Amino acid sequence: MEPDVSMETGSMIRIAVLPVGGAIPHRQLREYAAMLGRQTRIDLSSISSFYKEHQKSPFAHQPWETGCLRFKYMLGGAPPSPWEDFQSCRKILAVVGLCHCPSSPDLDLVADQFAAACKGYSSALAKRCFAFCPTDSQLEDDGKKRENIILFPPSDRQTQEFHMLTMVQDLAATLLMEFEKWVLRAESTGTILKTPLDSQSSLGSEEVIKAKKRRLGRAQKTIGDYCLLAGSPVDANAHYSTAIELARLTGDVFWHAGALEGSVCALLLDRMDQKDPVLEEEVKYRYYTVIQLYRRSYLQDNAQRVSTVSFELEAALKLARYLCRRELAKEVVELLMGAADGAKSLIDASDRLILYVEIARLFGTLGYQRKAAFFSRQVAQLYLQQDNACAAISAMQVLTMTSNAYHVQSRRANSKPHTSPHELGPSHGDGGKLHPQSVVSLFESQWSTLQMVVLREILMSSVRAGDPLAAWSAAARLLRSFYPLITPAGQSGLASSLAKSAERLPPGTRCADPALPFIRLHSFSLHPSQTDIIKRNPLKKEWWTGSAPSGPFIYTPFSKGGTTNTNKQEMTWIVGEPVQVLVELANPCSFDLIVESIYLSVHSGNFDAFPVSVSLPPNTAKVILLSGIPTKVGPVSIPGCIVHCFGVITEHLFKDVDNLLLGAAQGLVLSDPFRCCGSGKLKNVSIPNISVVPPLPLLVSHAVGGDGATVLYEGEIRDIWISLTNAGTVPVEQAHIALSGKNQDSVVSIAHDTLLSALPLKPGGEVTLPVTLKAWQLSMVDSEIDSSKSSGSTRRISKEGSSPVLVVHYAGPWTHSDQSNNTENSVPPGRRLVVPLNVCVLQGLRFVKARLLSMEIPARITDALPKQLYGDKNPAEVVSRDDSMVKIDPYRGSWELRLLELELSNPTDVVFEVNVSVQLDNRKNEHGMPILNHENADFGYPKTRIDRDYSARVLIPLEHFKLPILDGSFFAKDSRASDAFCSKVSNMAERSAKAELNASINNLISKIKVRWHSGRNSSGELNIKDATQPALQASVMDILLPDPLTFGFRLAKNGATAQINGFPEESIISGDPPSQCVNGSAVKCKGSISAHEMTHMEVLVRNNTKEMIQMSLCVACRDVAGENCTEGNNATVLWAGVLNDIRLEVPPLEEVEHAFSLYFLVPGEYTLQAASVINDATDVLRARARTDSPDEPIFCRGSPFHVHVVGTA
Amino acid sequence: MANTACFIIVSRNDIPIYEAEVGSAPKKEEAAHKHQFILHAALDIVQDLAWTTSAMFLKAVDRFNDLVVSVYVTAGHTRLMLLHDSRNEDGIKSFFQEVHELYVKILLNPLYLPGSRITSSHFDTKVRALARKYL
Repeated sequence: MEPDVSMETGSMIRIAVLPVGGAIPHRQLREYAAMLGRQTRIDLSSISSFYKEHQKSPFAHQPWETGCLRFKYMLGGAPPSPWEDFQSCRKILAVVGLCHCPSSPDLDLVADQFAAACKGYSSALAKRCFAFCPTDSQLEDDGKKRENIILFPPSDRQTQEFHMLTMVQDLAATLLMEFEKWVLRAESTGTILKTPLDSQSSLGSEEVIKAKKRRLGRAQKTIGDYCLLAGSPVDANAHYSTAIELARLTGDVFWHAGALEGSVCALLLDRMDQKDPVLEEEVKYRYYTVIQLYRRSYLQDNAQRVSTVSFELEAALKLARYLCRRELAKEVVELLMGAADGAKSLIDASDRLILYVEIARLFGTLGYQRKAAFFSRQVAQLYLQQDNACAAISAMQVLTMTSNAYHVQSRRANSKPHTSPHELGPSHGDGGKLHPQSVVSLFESQWSTLQMVVLREILMSSVRAGDPLAAWSAAARLLRSFYPLITPAGQSGLASSLAKSAERLPPGTRCADPALPFIRLHSFSLHPSQTDIIKRNPLKKEWWTGSAPSGPFIYTPFSKGGTTNTNKQEMTWIVGEPVQVLVELANPCSFDLIVESIYLSVHSGNFDAFPVSVSLPPNTAKVILLSGIPTKVGPVSIPGCIVHCFGVITEHLFKDVDNLLLGAAQGLVLSDPFRCCGSGKLKNVSIPNISVVPPLPLLVSHAVGGDGATVLYEGEIRDIWISLTNAGTVPVEQAHIALSGKNQDSVVSIAHDTLLSALPLKPGGEVTLPVTLKAWQLSMVDSEIDSSKSSGSTRRISKEGSSPVLVVHYAGPWTHSDQSNNTENSVPPGRRLVVPLNVCVLQGLRFVKARLLSMEIPARITDALPKQLYGDKNPAEVVSRDDSMVKIDPYRGSWELRLLELELSNPTDVVFEVNVSVQLDNRKNEHGMPILNHENADFGYPKTRIDRDYSARVLIPLEHFKLPILDGSFFAKDSRASDAFCSKVSNMAERSAKAELNASINNLISKIKVRWHSGRNSSGELNIKDATQPALQASVMDILLPDPLTFGFRLAKNGATAQINGFPEESIISGDPPSQCVNGSAVKCKGSISAHEMTHMEVLVRNNTKEMIQMSLCVACRDVAGENCTEGNNATVLWAGVLNDIRLEVPPLEEVEHAFSLYFLVPGEYTLQAASVINDATDVLRARARTDSPDEPIFCRGSPFHVHVVGTA
Repeated sequence: MANTACFIIVSRNDIPIYEAEVGSAPKKEEAAHKHQFILHAALDIVQDLAWTTSAMFLKAVDRFNDLVVSVYVTAGHTRLMLLHDSRNEDGIKSFFQEVHELYVKILLNPLYLPGSRITSSHFDTKVRALARKYL
């Protein structure tokens, strides 16, 4: 059988093309052969100039105007066929030698070689040797006129082709003349034509007679063949008709078929251009007859030796090729399937090979790719049965052709290049929301069993053919696509074949088909320096505002429509700043995978990727960080990674793996490589639009003294120094610091000025900012949780992420000098640096509770008066030297003392020292006098030390908070409030009253500072506000408001000024006159009061209000038992003057004296107490007394005074 | 029962969604591959033939050596393909019809994505039983 047969084959003149002389370089040989190969159709009209009619031509009807000769070049020649006599077109009718002169200098030698080569072709009627590129000497030498060697002078391509055409025309003319000669000779003499079919051994008489009969018909058929070759179909047809008649008569079935075949060829040649259905029917009819005849000629007896099956099949193939059109597919398929069935009866394996090749080609032409692939695979199997490298190469090539139909094609063969960034978009564009049906279509025609078999065969054939790259590619495809179907041993085998193939490849070989590992995009590592690029708004001074949604709503209906469909997020990279991308690698196979290097694949050419090497144990997945540096401004697309693994460089596209995972999710693909490695499901990460922008400044922050968290106790105040360095290549020209995050109010101050003064910050420049922090209180939620966990020693630590954050917005210059081509709207963006103030707040002193203690300490007069207390005139100094915790001056009268007791516990493991101070405003004292040089009168109390795990109580006296005057101002709203009290109607008023009250409490509390120290440098302030509020709530009025009247007693002995001063609420810093009095009285009182002696006394009544008060005053004297000693039957004290119902009128803010005398009969302790009933009380007084009835008398009682009476009874 | 028979269901996307060697001949992997190759190649012919007739059962559409491919095309263009060496056309037709019913039941499962692999073991058992019955 012969390949590539068609109905026209019978009209083709076979010319053997042989290289002669020295070895011709491949390129040249190819070029010469191609030049020759183009001349397949030589018009009869063009050869007429070379044609000489020696005698009358037997081709009477030769169409000189339209006809042509057809050449078929057999490169390398062909062995003679035993069927040459049967079909003349099988003969080699001419030999053309190709010679490359530079490699074969001796033309004589070439001529000899050519002559020798031609000997093999006895049927050749013409011989030519074309010698190309002759040297000058050879051209001169040409004068000898060697037979058959034609030199092609060196010239341009066109000239050479013209030259070649001329030579071929000459050859054609020679051949035509030879055909004429042959036909004339054959007609006259008659030749014996035999085929292998005719039995050669037994030449019985019967046989001889038969042969004689048949000879004429066979001769006619052969003449017809020559007519066809000579391009004269009409003549051929005439001869064939005769031959058919003769063959039928003689029963020469085989030759009958041959003649019929020839007649069809002649018919087709005659009606070259028209293809009407009638003709087609005719051809079909005749050819089916031909096939029938060939089948009939099959002789059982010599089936082993020769078979006509191949002719039958060839005829079928010829018809199939003629009919090969989509409309006639059914008929062609029938023919081809019949032909395929005939393969079994073919003896020669190469015949079968040719048959399958032709069937595959015809199916391919028909568009039946799968059928074609099936037969191609049959061809490949036949090739693989031959055990040589050439056959293996052929097998490999054939299999590679089938790979498309089986969807296992190498990506290199894929016509569409993957480099285009637009191609990569669509699968991600929908955010991975593919319809299940379209997911299915992604995996169309996945016949995994077949694919594996085909790939395995490709691998095997390419190993045998010695093509390491093809072997590597096939093994890679096999391993990557079908690892779940391959046993661990098989996987290792594939790995080793990959490695073996790589050994034979030059280092750095690239392959289009990725092997392992599977790579998917994990995430883009959001380095703060990348995320915090902020578009600058050139119109605003605060350029960073407006770039982010400022409101609480993420979506605003007023935003422009164009921005709503941005499901692809944007990402900006900066030239020269390294970026990082996280990818996940999976090795689902059972061998150790060593990735020699992996780096990001960027086709845009503006990115330097840094390779890393990874080792993946069996069945593992790993997330690795790939980094690189953008080098140029422009968009960047990252379609995948370049991997150097198993000795070959491959590109792994993320898209492929995404599709694979999608299919795995739907159960369409065998297995998800990541899940079988134990890696979790990952959301489909879309590749953002990445653009690279020119360099920007880059601030880097670090805390001076280490970046670790600063450990602070609650309330501790400390400075943190933060240093900002410009690590970029562009100066920082604008900068602004803002606060964000939790616990923002714990930042007391930031040195904005320091930063501003450091601008512009040159590259490499550094600025250090102090930030004052006050540690916040840990929330109660924390404490509850922790105390339940470990009661007793609870150590609470602030949660992570609760630290405040400094946000530094900064930017470079407005325009880049080197980027002049930029349009005006492209202002380089600014950046944001987020500096977390790493603070770890530990639980500090713990506030247990606060209580308000109130006690009354009566003034006591004894001998043991501490005079030094009053030695100094300046009460301020007294205060400053006063070490006593509570400023009680028991000799100056009696107080109603109110103390705020704070109970503190120390759950930490350090010692705290607590220092309570009361901050007084520059305000007036009770007497309406300014406090003496006490602008910032801080009352220091001794430090209280609280050891670890101990509690302590701190007392804070509240006597300093009395307002100097009781007037309406405080009750300005209170008057209303009191109305509200009465009516109990207005809730609003009540609420406002409460608010007022709270305000005053807050005001009070804010004056009390509880500072603490611990260790060398920890200090802070305890927040007692919340704790003390409830303690003070009830009695704040009593604390803040002075009594309307204050009473005091003093001695008025002998009319002197000795006195017992008693302004209970008056502080020690009361006015000068009293202190002088005190001084005097102290001296006098040393002598004390004696029994049996008239003691002159005065009671002082002071009006603390701004209105005149009318009252009736009573003075009572009681003994230790509380009995009234001035009245009754057994009174022990005699008295002179008025003690009861003393009508007094006290002008506002003044005091009135009332003198009386006492005579103590019995020595001992007595108590003097003044009280009064206020007449016509004002609203203010009523409010103070908390009475709501206008008729009720207001009773005002003074503090008791002790009188120590000495003497003998 | 047929000596060699390979039954396969091909989805409309040309993906084999069910495969079964239902012949009584001893199973060989090589043969199974060959059967699938033949069936795969027959798809080309089915593709053309399916539109030329209104019948679902296309009878024998293709052959290779002594193996014949019979095809049944459902309305959704899912192809039930049987490679066999027996010539029992009626049996094959009944087999296809019953398998089609089974396939429709599979399709009715809301959890089954049309076009994906049929993994139901019940389906497999039933198909093999039908093959024993009819082929």
